[in-house]
Amino acid sequence: MIGPLLRNELRMLLRDTRTLLIAVVAPIVVLPGWILVSNFVADREEERIESATYRWALVGEEAAWGESIIERALDLPADSTLGDATFERVGEGNDSLLSASEVELVVVARRATEADSLATDTPVLEVRYRAESDLSRAARERFVERLEAVREAERDRRFRLAGLPASRAELGVVSTTNVASAGKEGGRLLSRFLLPFVVMMMLGGGSIMAADTISGEKERGTLETLLTSSARRSEIVRAKLLAVITVGLAVVVINVVNLAIYVTIGVFDLPEGLALELAPAQLALLLLLFLPLAGLVAAGLLLVSGIAKSYREYQLYAPVLFLAFLIPSLAGLLPGLSLESAIVLVPLAGVAVATTAVLVDAWHPLWGLVAFASSAGAALYLLRRVEGVLSNERLIAGTDFDEAEFRGGPALFPRHVLTWFLGLWVLFFLASLWFGDVLGVRGQLVINLVGIFLGGSAWMVHRYRLDPVEVLSLRRPRWTAWPAVLIGAPSFLVLGVGVSELVNTWLFPMPESVLESFARGLTLDLGLAQIVFFLAILPGVLEEIAFRGVLLHGLRRRLRTPWAAALACGVIFGLFHVSLFRIIPTGLLGIVLALVVLRTGSIYPAMLWHLLNNALALVPDELGWISPDLAVPGWAYALAFVGMAISLSLLRPRTPGAPRAPSPVGGVPPGGYSP
Amino acid sequence: MMTHLHTPAVAVHDLRKSFFDEERGEVTAVDGISFEALPGEVFGLLGANGAGKTTTLRMLSTVLTPSSGSATVMGHDVVKEGERVRRNLGFHSASTALYPRLTARETLEFFARINGYPEERLNARVDQLVDRFAIREYEHGRIEKLSSGMKQKVSIARTIAHDPPVLIFDEPTVGLDVMNAIEMVKVVNELKAEGKAILYSSHIMSEVEKLCDRIGILHRGRLLALGTLDELREATGEHYLEDIFVTYVTERAGTADAVPGIFGEPGTPPAS
Repeated sequence: MIGPLLRNELRMLLRDTRTLLIAVVAPIVVLPGWILVSNFVADREEERIESATYRWALVGEEAAWGESIIERALDLPADSTLGDATFERVGEGNDSLLSASEVELVVVARRATEADSLATDTPVLEVRYRAESDLSRAARERFVERLEAVREAERDRRFRLAGLPASRAELGVVSTTNVASAGKEGGRLLSRFLLPFVVMMMLGGGSIMAADTISGEKERGTLETLLTSSARRSEIVRAKLLAVITVGLAVVVINVVNLAIYVTIGVFDLPEGLALELAPAQLALLLLLFLPLAGLVAAGLLLVSGIAKSYREYQLYAPVLFLAFLIPSLAGLLPGLSLESAIVLVPLAGVAVATTAVLVDAWHPLWGLVAFASSAGAALYLLRRVEGVLSNERLIAGTDFDEAEFRGGPALFPRHVLTWFLGLWVLFFLASLWFGDVLGVRGQLVINLVGIFLGGSAWMVHRYRLDPVEVLSLRRPRWTAWPAVLIGAPSFLVLGVGVSELVNTWLFPMPESVLESFARGLTLDLGLAQIVFFLAILPGVLEEIAFRGVLLHGLRRRLRTPWAAALACGVIFGLFHVSLFRIIPTGLLGIVLALVVLRTGSIYPAMLWHLLNNALALVPDELGWISPDLAVPGWAYALAFVGMAISLSLLRPRTPGAPRAPSPVGGVPPGGYSP
Repeated sequence: MMTHLHTPAVAVHDLRKSFFDEERGEVTAVDGISFEALPGEVFGLLGANGAGKTTTLRMLSTVLTPSSGSATVMGHDVVKEGERVRRNLGFHSASTALYPRLTARETLEFFARINGYPEERLNARVDQLVDRFAIREYEHGRIEKLSSGMKQKVSIARTIAHDPPVLIFDEPTVGLDVMNAIEMVKVVNELKAEGKAILYSSHIMSEVEKLCDRIGILHRGRLLALGTLDELREATGEHYLEDIFVTYVTERAGTADAVPGIFGEPGTPPAS
């Protein structure tokens, strides 16, 4: 079924003559046309300057001396270094002649003054010209080069008279030799613009089709006709994807051929040194790498087309998408970025770096494969999203049921919660950039915890008219929650040390220096009481309000299972601890704390746990009870494991027999959940 | 199609569709309706705008998924066998436009093909449609250049291009001039004579009166009445369909006052 669908898409596009003319034909004609015209203008200008007669005037107290030099200079025959030019002297003159374009140059022959910062009495020929006139500039260039030639000849003559070597070559020669093949050099050059060029053309070409295909169908009302036919949605999406890829690649090919033709017929020249020698294997690799790239670009365009309700909306989104794709495609330009680095995990950027690697013979199959896979995976994900968009009932049913959008209220909160936390994250990040040095640790903690976390939470509760008791789970837990926390917090801390060590050893090996500087960053000059207040109590209470209160409440209503909500809550919590290698331990803490809230139905045990966690991590160290290099013995891990198990089993819903299955909508029920 | 005369071509049982509106919770557009349509029969759904006609028909066309209840088309379940349902179905509504840059003939070929009409008989089928709807003159003209009457013919031909046993016409005469509307009614009658099962929705009384063998009166997502015109006359003592409709909606709607309508406030009894 994909065949007929694809043919239909392409046939309809080919009939849209106006779009084709503007999007495909126009660039083909306009680009060389522009180059031709500008070349023509440049040639004419050059001709005018070449054939011109440059008028000059001589003034000054040393005019007689000047005249003899100038006469010699203008009599020099044109050769490889001196251009051909005709000069004509126009009697006496001054700057007013110059500004009236009566002469191109006014030469002042004089003795040096203090202002020249030369030895006094040095003879000076000052050539006055007007930079805004092409002729005057050209005249100055040619005039001065002749004067300098005369001076050089004079110097050489004096050197010879004194018996010194006059030419530099007589002293010895400095020379350079390039051993790289022209092909490799060309590869380096090509690798800089090949991928951005391909991505740009794919985007431009694919966009023509993408706009027409889903948002266009919505606008023309043909989408329902298509969806009520027996073609499957996956087939429709695939056919549309293939159509976007086909048109995108066609535009790439057209432009490459176009470029080749214009280079061949000499409309313009390739950059110097662009000799290309591509082995068949290299070419095959490049084509292979472009596959996920084409798929990714096409799927992105299609998704935007699916989300947009009309052409107009598509055009609104398209530039953003263009930038989002172009920027990673420039990764190949970054100096020193090797294929064997984390960049391969970034869709598009990985392929960009891999392309460069192929062209300069730095290819590595394993890393290349990861780059391929990351882009291909992103493409498949986007494709799934497009299918989702086509299955979205709002697409068909219209916007009749979207009134919540306009009314706000608690029901809207789960939809917006992630956006709000993204905003808080940006604030948090900027605050640590701007105020980090100015305010010191205490000031920054207050801004983050009170300003951003507490303030943000309060604003969200107010804005969406949320019920604070419900949102923050302000309920008394079952008494077993307290011993569970007292056992769980130290156990988790010990396990956390183990996890950090695993992470640092296996996942992201950190240089010693980084770890040390991090340890230094935590050495605080605050004193015990302040450490406990600022680093344990304050975060324990306020971070819980923001993350396990407001955020978890929103996530719980958005995600299907309590587990998913806890996981997402942990990941987001981790991301707020900006430093890369703290994300995993704090993320885990976030997950555990979310589970504590979900299981007990109360936020208080999580606050205590968080507080204890921070206090236990800092206080013994501060008091000098343990050395920072203390290695945790194996039996401690085993004990901690048992402790965690006991703790989690003690964390049970307050009322026995409380609902265990999550209600379809709702936050944490009074009894909590048992995930 | 004659073999299917004894079994319903479309069977709808307790079908329900609610949309989730975060402020008000569930909004029920179709609230537990049941009916059947037989081959060779025109089943009319009569109701005001927003009564749930289009939502019902869209569920039958598999574009919307029912919240509960079941529906089959030629024995195929609309949820589990979407592709087979659509293969047996021609769907025509105000929102099923044609591709403007295809010619009339290409439109018919394309839709017959993607609906799985056998390739070897496709040309003959398209020729037959072109003759039947008298579009030979402009079969190679692009849809965008055709008059609205011509477009309507192509659109009906498109709906039956793959010769499906079940046809859905959702408010097909909306926006048509008198002559085109009459033509539409004529075509539906012909299709009925060929043994197709036809679901016909409208809010125009005279059309339904003339065309439909059985009529379902839909109001606020509920089927208030179901029967032949004569049965409805007998039940209400009214002669004209308009009066019958008003009787049901104003008097009998009292039983449905708890139904949260799409636009009405739930729980307000109708003025009577």
